[in-house]
Amino acid sequence: MLDKRVSLHEAVASIPDGAVLALGGNTLHRAPCAVVHELVRQGKRDLTLVKTASSYDTDLLCGAGCVSRAELAFVGFENVFGLAPRYRLAIETGRVKLREHACYSIITGLRAAVQGVPFMPIAGMVGSDVVAVSGFKTVQDPYSGQSLVAVQAIQPDVAVVHVQEADAEGNAVIYGTRFEDVLIAQAARRVILTCERVVPGEKLARQPELTAIPGYLVEAVVEAPRGAWPLSCAGEYGYDHAFLAAYVDAARGDEATYQSFIEQHILAPDAALAYAS
Amino acid sequence: MTTPAPTSLAQANMMAVALARLLRDGERVFHGVASPLPMVACLLAQRLHAPRLVYLNITGSANPTPAELPASTVDARLLAGTHSLVTLADLFDMSARGAIDTVFLSGVQIDVEGRINMSAIGPYAQPKVRLPGGAGSAALMPTARRVILWRTKHDPRTLVERVGFVTAAGNVDRVVTPLCVFRRVEGRLQVEQLFPYTAADAVRAATGFPLDADDTTPVAPPPSEAELAALAAIDPDQIRLIEFM
Repeated sequence: MLDKRVSLHEAVASIPDGAVLALGGNTLHRAPCAVVHELVRQGKRDLTLVKTASSYDTDLLCGAGCVSRAELAFVGFENVFGLAPRYRLAIETGRVKLREHACYSIITGLRAAVQGVPFMPIAGMVGSDVVAVSGFKTVQDPYSGQSLVAVQAIQPDVAVVHVQEADAEGNAVIYGTRFEDVLIAQAARRVILTCERVVPGEKLARQPELTAIPGYLVEAVVEAPRGAWPLSCAGEYGYDHAFLAAYVDAARGDEATYQSFIEQHILAPDAALAYAS
Repeated sequence: MTTPAPTSLAQANMMAVALARLLRDGERVFHGVASPLPMVACLLAQRLHAPRLVYLNITGSANPTPAELPASTVDARLLAGTHSLVTLADLFDMSARGAIDTVFLSGVQIDVEGRINMSAIGPYAQPKVRLPGGAGSAALMPTARRVILWRTKHDPRTLVERVGFVTAAGNVDRVVTPLCVFRRVEGRLQVEQLFPYTAADAVRAATGFPLDADDTTPVAPPPSEAELAALAAIDPDQIRLIEFM
């Protein structure tokens, strides 16, 4: 069995500036935040983010200047903290160019990539201005003549997924909701996996049907306990309400306040560990 | 975060009850992210008049029996008690093939035709306010058999003649606000029921499009003792109030 374990620093260093990056998880849950924090520390630039519904991960990457484009359907802290302040600002000032989606059009674009076709038709979308502003074209069903919105394939350069358990080869077990994690892993050119625990491969061999992502799709495995923090990881921990409240408060503040929060809590080498412990 | 006004609990109770009353026994109902009131309404309907309702949500669970309700409706606490688990893609697929009866959606702005704006206030390319985005709504609104919108704010800037940007449009049947229930009739929203603590002129004044609501407009029955008892049992921590903060 291949041992694909690398350090967090090494895994993130392999993500080039300008990459199209798909992030796992959904809103306040199981996003690969250890990688997100390391992307900020390494000062990545010009990333394109791909995700259905996002919160802190997208807000922080936009606020830290790592992002120039995004394909997203929802960014916000739900009813817990409301709008995502730095994402908002990045779009309003034009620093990040958004191609707005519905969650299902992200899924459809990923599926086209998974199936090796250039586009895929989608049900719905009719009547939405998103079709025009995002440049979605229509296609005619050659059998019935019906017109359908066609979504271009979305092939991320790198998918980053945080799971509860994986073996050293990258066979990954996801407890609870999988969100789009399996789909982004299948669609992407490369997959970086972070996990709460590396477990012996023999454990997975006993019930391989429980493995959500096969190790042969995975390039690198990072053992990252509390790697979704400050977001939740099902069965392990909930989202960190106090930290997120402090984050959103700083993000609503002026640029100096926000940058000092990032320096103190993200850039300082042991900052995240202090909270995460 | 501001403290809710004294009337918020009465409004939250009335909205949860009104949403639950719209649900039918045996139908498949779905809600997505940021949907505390629909979450409460589904659980309430199951407990009261719709025991065979299939309650689906964005976590992929079916008929969960959460011991405590989460503030985020994507939370793993909504997996408690489910016997099955599907992906988000599976859920959107179900709606796409017409296999979901009722979907709950919301809009920062809702217009007279039941179209929603969850995208931007001001010019789209350089918005005054970039909103979160519609999540699943652009795909779900035209494909779900029936859409129920809810919004905890009812004022002329929220309920407008025309939304500035159409994030989604489609099969809207009802709109529930803190003041009333709208029904879409011949493509336009009309007041179907006023809530007991409000009056027709107040609703007209709070709405950004013309309404013919008057003293003859039906008034919704206030939450019954049974409804309030079920509400207290399902949501003792009053998570439903979070949408009013």
